[in-house]
Amino acid sequence: MLVLEQLQRRFGDVIALDRLDLEVVAGELCGFVGPNGAGKTTAMRCAVGVTTPDAGTVAWEGRAVDLEVRRRIGYMPEERGLYPRMRVAEQLVYLARLHGLRSAEAAANVEFWLDRLGLTARRDSPVEELSLGNQQRVQLAAALVHDPVLLILDEPFSGLDPIAVDVMSEVLLERAAAGVAVVFSSHQLDLVEDLCRSVAVVDAGRVVLRGDVRELKRAGDRRLRVAVDGDPGWVAALPVDTEVVARANGEVTVALGAEADPGEVIELARAGGPLLHVRLEEPRLSELFRDALQDRLPR
Amino acid sequence: MSPGTTVRLIAAREVRQRLRSKLFVGTTLVISALLTVLAALPALLGVFDPDEPAVDQPAEEADLPRLGVVGAMSVAERSAIEAAIGPIEVVEVADVDAGAAALTSATNDLVAVVVPGERVLVAPSGQLLRPGSVAATRVAEALALGELFSEEPDRVGEVLARPSLPVEEVGDVDPAEATARLVVANLGVVFLFAVLIMYASMIINGVIEEKGSRVVELLVATVPVRWLMTGKLLGLGIVGLLQTLTLFAPPLAVLLLTAGEAIPRGVGGLGVAIAGWFVAGYALYAVIAAGLGSLVSRPEEAQAVLTPANVLMIGGYLVGFLAINAPSSTFAVVASFVPFSAPYAMLVRQALAAPAWWEVAAAAALTLSSAAALTVVAARIYEGGILRTGARVRLREAWRAG
Repeated sequence: MLVLEQLQRRFGDVIALDRLDLEVVAGELCGFVGPNGAGKTTAMRCAVGVTTPDAGTVAWEGRAVDLEVRRRIGYMPEERGLYPRMRVAEQLVYLARLHGLRSAEAAANVEFWLDRLGLTARRDSPVEELSLGNQQRVQLAAALVHDPVLLILDEPFSGLDPIAVDVMSEVLLERAAAGVAVVFSSHQLDLVEDLCRSVAVVDAGRVVLRGDVRELKRAGDRRLRVAVDGDPGWVAALPVDTEVVARANGEVTVALGAEADPGEVIELARAGGPLLHVRLEEPRLSELFRDALQDRLPR
Repeated sequence: MSPGTTVRLIAAREVRQRLRSKLFVGTTLVISALLTVLAALPALLGVFDPDEPAVDQPAEEADLPRLGVVGAMSVAERSAIEAAIGPIEVVEVADVDAGAAALTSATNDLVAVVVPGERVLVAPSGQLLRPGSVAATRVAEALALGELFSEEPDRVGEVLARPSLPVEEVGDVDPAEATARLVVANLGVVFLFAVLIMYASMIINGVIEEKGSRVVELLVATVPVRWLMTGKLLGLGIVGLLQTLTLFAPPLAVLLLTAGEAIPRGVGGLGVAIAGWFVAGYALYAVIAAGLGSLVSRPEEAQAVLTPANVLMIGGYLVGFLAINAPSSTFAVVASFVPFSAPYAMLVRQALAAPAWWEVAAAAALTLSSAAALTVVAARIYEGGILRTGARVRLREAWRAG
């Protein structure tokens, strides 16, 4: 289990981490989401030892993350980076060896991942000659090539085409199923919702929402999506514990608090005109995200 | 995995990548070939062939030097002059003014004009006799001698034929070796400066490559920054030594094979001194270059950020040259113990002033221990600067962040 406990980090006057806590167990695929500047990258850098926190601890399986542990972490930095002129396979072998693998083991792993990610034909090309998509694949291979027990990936989906998103998703699910603890940050909340078992929402340097995605959705305010052929003024009479959270294309989305009665809202809507459609749903992750950050985000 | 293995892996990558660059290898081989041809040139031109006179001797039948004489010249005076500078042809000159005009005319063929018992006129452009030259002085002395023995001209030959007092040489410095040592001191200082500047630049570009391509974040997630820096410096140091050997070993071998006997003994040891000071100088300046390199992200900023190191290197180089002129001076002795100038100044002293072995050892120890101390400082700056991409990082900020 990865445990980040009470992490604090300040850059000049900017507080990047403000007593951030996070736990990720082996086999868990955890989405790490938050607005820009929330502290995601700093937290991940602290987890891999690239940045030293001012206070707080980082531990893996009860042990402080030292060099030995760091060698077993697969890391994809937000700022992608590989040696541009070094050949793909040679570079991956080099990185695997820096993580402590023996030469033969490193070579075998490299061949496996080149094959798995469809890069075998480019194994001897310098990285700079690859397309951006293929460079991303090499970057993923660099995070995986040493059989890590913990994967920390900063925005792994950014800049990927839909096919590459599928490949990345498959690999992450596969690794989590193999018992690897996987944490990745992303702004694509729908993707996180589809892919992850758990999520951590971070804001202003601390985790503001954490848990199993399904449970969080179940516990969150349900959404009633109503479209009426008539005057939208009916929403003015909404009962307490309900709130309009979105309007789009004639559809009004009403968040229902624990005490709210969806029937009552439907009746109100019907008074405004004939109903075009009504859907009662659990909230999307993006809506939970907005709820968690409601004081700071514009509606 | 031990630090040694990690550092070796990093160093090996640096060596492989550099040796794979066709431009780097090609340029090195071409320069080496040029230097080898240059080294072979003296042998090809027969400069070292002892059977061949190095300088053409004047032909026997050549015209005698023409000496202008105002008035009469006694037999004794002429004998004295010929004893001093060899056979001459005497040309009568009307007076001093005519002599001076003849000497300064464009068509002058007189070596000098003498006024017996009075003076000797020479022109600055004179071939044999110039103002202040030994030959001019000897003509003047001969003239005086001839005047002294004007009544007994035969004694002039007797006096001049008297064996001169023996001149004994003390010490064991062979003039050829002294010249060779001076040449080695000059070349050694230039060589050290050139290679140190070149490798400092190579290091800074290597650091910027990792920082600019952002691969460094991936590396420092698994390798302590100090090991990363050490591996890089070691790798580029090995590349530097390999390149230096490739550049200079073939021409030196050619020089030894073709002119081995002409190279004085004792100069060979200086080659070892140059190699040793290269290693010590590299250790010192390389860590500075690495620390400074971590402050910038773009190659075009490299030279600007390297300025402090360049100033130190150029300073050391100038000190080295000053030391050549006075290798035993207090200045040279002090400079040979100051770490930044020691590689140059002690090399010069070793070539020209025979310092005690312990002085050389102490200077090397001071330079290497300064390099070690600077490694700690540079590693901290490197640690603080290497992850901060974008704008140039201030030294103080990097130090605080490290």
